Amino acid sequence: MTQLIWNGLFVGSFYALIALGYSMVYGIIKLLNFAHGDIYMLGAFIGFTVLSSFGGITASMSIISLLFVLIISMLLSGAAGVAIERIAYRPLRNSPRLAVLITAVGASFTLEYGVSAIAGPNPRVFPVRLGGNSFDFLGARLSVPQVILMAIAVVLMLGLNMYVQRTSRGRAMRAIALDPKGALLMGINVNAVITWTFFIGSALAGAAGVMAGAYYGKIDFLMGFIIGLKAFTAAVIGGIGNIKGAMLGGLLLGLLEAFGSQVFGGQWRDVFTFAVLILFLTLKPTGLLGERVTERV
Amino acid sequence: MSGAKLGENTDATMAPRRIGQPQSRISQFFESRQLGWVALGIALIMPFIIATNYAMNIMTTAAIFVLLASGLNIVVGYCGLLDLGYIAFMAVGAYTSGIIAKAFDLPLIFTIPAVLVMTILAGLIIGAPTLRLRSDYLAIVTLGFGEIIRLTANNLSITGGSSGIFGIPGLELFGIDLQQPVIFYYFCILVVSLFVLASGRLGKSRLGRAWRFVREDEDAAEAMGIHTYKVKLLAYIFGAVWGGIGGVLFAAHLSAVSPQSFVFLQSALVLMAVVLGGMGNMRGVVVGAVIISLLPEFLRDLGNYRYLAFGILLVAVMVFRPQGFWPARAWEPERPSDPPPEPVAAAGRAAKTKRKAR
Amino acid sequence: MKLRRIMVAAVALAALTTSGCSGILSGGGSGGGSDKGPITLAAVIPTSGSSAPTGTYMENGMKMAIDEINAKGGVLDGRKLKLDVEDGACDPTQAAAAANKAVSNGAVVSVGGYCSGATLPTLPIFNSAGIPMIIPAANSEDLVTQKLPNVFLINGTGVQQAAAALKFMKKDGVASVALVDDNTSYSKDITAETKKDAEADGSVKVALATSVTAGESDYSSVVNQIMSVKPDMLYWTGYYQEGGLIINQLKAAGYTGKIMVADGSVDPSLVKIAGGTNADGVFATMTQTPDTIKGAESWIADYKKKFGSDPGPYSTQSYDAVKLAAHAITEAKSTKGADITKALEAVDGFKLFSGPLKFTPEHTLSNGGFQILVVKDGKFVLQDALS
Repeated sequence: MTQLIWNGLFVGSFYALIALGYSMVYGIIKLLNFAHGDIYMLGAFIGFTVLSSFGGITASMSIISLLFVLIISMLLSGAAGVAIERIAYRPLRNSPRLAVLITAVGASFTLEYGVSAIAGPNPRVFPVRLGGNSFDFLGARLSVPQVILMAIAVVLMLGLNMYVQRTSRGRAMRAIALDPKGALLMGINVNAVITWTFFIGSALAGAAGVMAGAYYGKIDFLMGFIIGLKAFTAAVIGGIGNIKGAMLGGLLLGLLEAFGSQVFGGQWRDVFTFAVLILFLTLKPTGLLGERVTERV
Repeated sequence: MSGAKLGENTDATMAPRRIGQPQSRISQFFESRQLGWVALGIALIMPFIIATNYAMNIMTTAAIFVLLASGLNIVVGYCGLLDLGYIAFMAVGAYTSGIIAKAFDLPLIFTIPAVLVMTILAGLIIGAPTLRLRSDYLAIVTLGFGEIIRLTANNLSITGGSSGIFGIPGLELFGIDLQQPVIFYYFCILVVSLFVLASGRLGKSRLGRAWRFVREDEDAAEAMGIHTYKVKLLAYIFGAVWGGIGGVLFAAHLSAVSPQSFVFLQSALVLMAVVLGGMGNMRGVVVGAVIISLLPEFLRDLGNYRYLAFGILLVAVMVFRPQGFWPARAWEPERPSDPPPEPVAAAGRAAKTKRKAR
Repeated sequence: MKLRRIMVAAVALAALTTSGCSGILSGGGSGGGSDKGPITLAAVIPTSGSSAPTGTYMENGMKMAIDEINAKGGVLDGRKLKLDVEDGACDPTQAAAAANKAVSNGAVVSVGGYCSGATLPTLPIFNSAGIPMIIPAANSEDLVTQKLPNVFLINGTGVQQAAAALKFMKKDGVASVALVDDNTSYSKDITAETKKDAEADGSVKVALATSVTAGESDYSSVVNQIMSVKPDMLYWTGYYQEGGLIINQLKAAGYTGKIMVADGSVDPSLVKIAGGTNADGVFATMTQTPDTIKGAESWIADYKKKFGSDPGPYSTQSYDAVKLAAHAITEAKSTKGADITKALEAVDGFKLFSGPLKFTPEHTLSNGGFQILVVKDGKFVLQDALS
C-alpha cells in the first residue's frame, strides 16, 4: 500500500514538473502548448548527448555530474521553447484559436520527427544511470535515486513558486495572466515576459526529461507525446493556470494512476487517465484549485 | 433569394461576406467552382491511365481518406471544433461492420445500419460532455477519446485484441462481387463523391450557416437564438457518420482491422488534409486529402522524414498562409469604403431601383 | 440542375465501368515475371518506424543469401535473384499498399513479414496474386488460422515457443511462474498458450498473468504485483524496450527469482536498458540467433565484413527464407506460384540454420527449433538446446 503511494508520488513528480510549464504558458497566453511534452523528450536527448560527449564517466553517477548535465539541459530546453514561441506562436498571436492549436500540433510533429531524424528511431540508453541502494521506509521500498530526484523536483517547484510570488518578473507574469492589455498599459514588456515564461516552463520540462532518462535509462523520440497528455491532465486536475494546482494535480494523477493500474490492470492505465481527464473537464473544469473564470471553460 | 451559386462557400446575404474575388491565384484555384468536377473527372479516368493493383490500392485509400477529410471538414472547417481524435469514428465504423459481418456472416452492406447507429452513438457520447468546453480543451479531450477508443479496441477480445478483426468478407452488391480492385475503386469513388456532395450541400444549408456562425462567434450566435450546443452536436454527429462510413470502406478495402491503424498520427494526417486544403472549403479539402494520402507513397524512400516535413509544413502554412487556405474574408472586418461584392451590389442596385421606382 | 448533373455523372460512370473494363482489368499486376531476366523476391519489412532496426537485420540477411546465390550463377539457368524491399512500417495500411506495390513489381515469392499485425492484411493480397509467402519472423497464430495455401512460416509459432518455455520451466524446477505480456497480439499469444499448457500440465503454477502498456517508462505497478506474488520465475513475452525496463525495476525492487524472456526481447539492447549486470542470468526462448548456432561463426564474420555491423535477430531466418525460396524455385523448375507452393510443401530436410526443414500440414515448422539462451557477460549464449 505504501509502496503504491510512493510509486504514485514518484511518477507524479515528473507529471508535476511538466504540468507546471503547461499551466504557466496557458495562464499567460491562453495557449495549450501541444509541443510541451516534446520539450521533455528534447531535454532527455540533450542530456543524452551531453553525457555521451563526456564519455568515460563511471557507471554510478555522482550528484555533481547529474546537476551539471541538468543545468545544461535546462538551459538548452528553455532555449528550444523560446525558439518555438518565436517561430510558431508569436506570429499567430492575433490569429484565431484554431490556427495556433494546429501550429502547436505541427510544432510537436516537427520536434518528434526532427529528433528521430537526427538521433535515429531506435530507443537510446542513457550512458550513465543513477545507481544506489534501496531502503525500506514505512513498508515501501525506496531507492536513493528516487529520493534524490523527488528532492530535486520539489526544490524546482518551490523555487518556481517563490519566483512567481516574490520577484517582479513573477508579478509581471501574474499580471499578464490576469489582464494582458492592462499589463501592457502598465508598462510591462509583455513580449519579453511571455518569452521568459516559455523559457522557464521548457526548462522545467527539460529537467524532468533528463531526470527520467537518468532514472529509467531508456529514451525514445515518442516519449514526450503521452507524457504531454498526462501532464495536461494533471494541470487540469489541479486547475489550469494555477502553479500550485499543477503541482498538486501532478502528484494526484500519479497516485490515481498507480491505484488505477492496480485495480484495472496495466493495459487500462492510459484509458483510466483519459477517463479521469474527461470526468474532471465535465464535472469540475476549473480543477481543484482553479479560480472561477468568467469565460466559459 | 439566397444567391448561393454552386461552389461558393459563403452565402452572400448573411455575414461573413466575401469582399471581392480572392486575390492570389492559389486562393482562386482552391475556391473555384470547377475544381471539384475536375477532380472527379481525373479520379474517374485514372484507371484508364494506370490500373495495376498497387495503383488501385493507393487510389482507393486516397478516396477513403477524402471521405474522412470531408467529414472532419464538417467538424473543424464548418463548425470550428478542433477534433484531434477524429479517427476514432472511423475505428467505430470499421470495427462495427467487421465484427457484425464476421459474427453473423453478413455481407458488409447489411452492416451499415448498425454502423450508423454506433457512430451516431459515438458522436453523442463523445460530443455530449466535451462540447461545452473551449476549443483548446476540446482538442485535447477529443485526442483523449481517440486514444481511449484505440486502447479499448486493443484490450477487448470482442474486437480481436491487438490482432484486430481479419478475414472480413468483401463488399457485395446484388450478387456482384465488388472486391475486384478496379470495381471497388469505382464504387468507393461513387460513395465518396456522394458524401462529399452531401457535405457541400450541408455547408450551404441553414445548418451550415449556423455552424459558420458558431465558428465565428459562439456567444453572438447563442444570443441570436441559435441553440449552439445542439448545432455543435449535430456537426459532431455528421462527422461521426462520415467517419463511420469511411470505416466500412476501410474494412472492405483491407479485409482486416487492427488498432495500429487508428493511432493519433492518423487523426493528425486527416487534420492536416483539412488544414492544407482550406478549412471550410470542401473542394480544397478534397485536393488536400488526395495530396496528403498519396504523398507518403511517392515519398516512400524518405521514411520518417515525411512526418517531419508534414510538421514543418503545418507550421509554415499556419504562419505564412492562414489567410489563403482559410476563408480570409471571415476575419476581415467590414470596411464600408470597399466596393461591395457582386451579389450584394446586385441586391443594392435592386434596392436602389426599388427606391427610385417609388 | 444539380440533380441532373448527378444523373449525368452516374450514367457516365456506369457506361465507363461496363464498357472499357476489359482493357483495364487485364492490366492488373502480373505475378510471374518474364521468362528471362532477374527473378524478384519481395520483402515487406519495416524500414521506418520503431521496428526499423529489425528490418535492417532482415534485409541484410536476405542480401547475403541473394549475393551468395547469384555468385554461384543464380537459379533456373543463370537467372539472377533480385530483392524488392517495400516498407511496411509495421502499419497494416502501409503494409497492404507495400504488398500491392510488390505484386505490381512482379514478385515471384514473398520473403518478408515481421510485425504480425501488419503482415495479416498482406496475406490475401499475395494469395490472390498467386504468390507464395515464406515468412521468416512474424509468427502469430492468426497467420496460421487463415489457412491460406500460399503461406509458409519458418519461425517457430507462439504455440511452439510456449511449449519450449514450459519444457524448460519444468526442467529447471520452476514451481510458480508470473506471465507478463505487452498487450500486442504476438506477445499475448505466447502467454495465453503458456498459461494453457501449464494448466493442462499441472506441474507449474501460473501465479500471475497480466499485461502492461508498451511505450511507457514506469512499470512499478507490475513490479509491485510480481513482488507480491513471489513467483519462482517471471516470463516476459514482449519486446526488449519494455523488457529491459522491467528487469531494471524488478532488480531495484529486490527481486531474486529467475527471469525468462521470449524472442522479441532477444536483442543486445535488452542488456543495455536493463543496466549494469541486471540482465545477467536472464533466460530466453529463441529460435536461433547467429551467435548461438554452431558453425555460424564464419557466416557472422562474412556479415560483419559485408555490412560493417553485427547481425541481429531474424538475420539468419531471413537468409534462410531466401535460400528456401531459391531452392523451391529450382525444384519447381518454374516461377509459377502454384508450382513453387507445391515444391515448398514437398521440402524434406532442407537445411536451415534452425535445422532440417519439413513443413507441417499447416505450413509451419514441424520442429519449432526453440532453444533456451541465457545472458552471460552481457551477451546471449546457448544454455539448453532443448532437443
